[in-house]
Amino acid sequence: MNFKGTLPTLILDALQSEPSHGYRIAQRIKERSRGVLDFKEGTLYPALHKLENEGLVESYEGMESGRPRRYYRITQAGHGTLRRDRAEWRKFSRAVTAILREA
Amino acid sequence: MTALDRWLEQATRQLAKDSAGQVRAEIQEHYEAARETAIRSGATAEEAERLAVRDLGDARTANCQYRRVLLTTGEARLLREGNWEARAVCSRPWLKWMFLVVPAAAFYTATALFLKGSVAGAWVWVAGGIGLLLAAPLLPIYTPSRGRVFRLVKWVVMLSLFGMVFGSEWLKWSWLLISCLWPMAWVEWTRVSIRRKLPVAQWPKQLYL
Repeated sequence: MNFKGTLPTLILDALQSEPSHGYRIAQRIKERSRGVLDFKEGTLYPALHKLENEGLVESYEGMESGRPRRYYRITQAGHGTLRRDRAEWRKFSRAVTAILREA
Repeated sequence: MTALDRWLEQATRQLAKDSAGQVRAEIQEHYEAARETAIRSGATAEEAERLAVRDLGDARTANCQYRRVLLTTGEARLLREGNWEARAVCSRPWLKWMFLVVPAAAFYTATALFLKGSVAGAWVWVAGGIGLLLAAPLLPIYTPSRGRVFRLVKWVVMLSLFGMVFGSEWLKWSWLLISCLWPMAWVEWTRVSIRRKLPVAQWPKQLYL
């Protein structure tokens, strides 16, 4: 399913509970959408860099299974953006549902 | 050359050396994790590698997106050259003083000539503006808002200078105007792109100007 434009919000949501690395973020989004949001993983990192440039996430070096990995965590500004995006999405979703129900 | 190498080569095309290294490291990490997961789920090594590369998607699409958020070779070169120029000015005290004294002297002379009635007031404005541009690397412009004000003044000065030189004949000389302004506009546009990619904390002085 095409979900262009919503990937940054989904990434922020995936990072809300705990810091994570790119692969785990991708898996979390796919699992939580039960495979409906199946995106190409090569596009995840540019979105992460953009969020980092905007100060919504920050990255640091961590270790997993003895291997160095780049972890990302959501910032205070990121939490604020996620709250706003959620509210906007609910509004948008309610409007589309209302229209489709009428049809 | 493996399928991953081919993917990386295409995805890092036109990216600056540091950006390309960053992309290689993160995609390599991702690929290893995806390959191990596939092997744990029962895939053969070859199949796991194929699936891991397939899940990365189209390398050209990734390259387009990377170029929007990471520095490209052209942008890195502009930054490097700008930093070199700033170092060259700031590390030589005589040059630094010259950049401050010459514009101030030009402004003073233009004001004196204007007061004597020898030149029009507009030339005082132009002398001050050019002086401001020359002394820019030494001025206290350290915040994005001051940078925006400076850039606005810079363009107003440059356009008014062209307006004063060519006057009503600007259309006749438009080819010269375009060829002079085009490189400046290109540098400005590249700087806009770099400002979007770098956090403000990492901006060198030239990005404020």
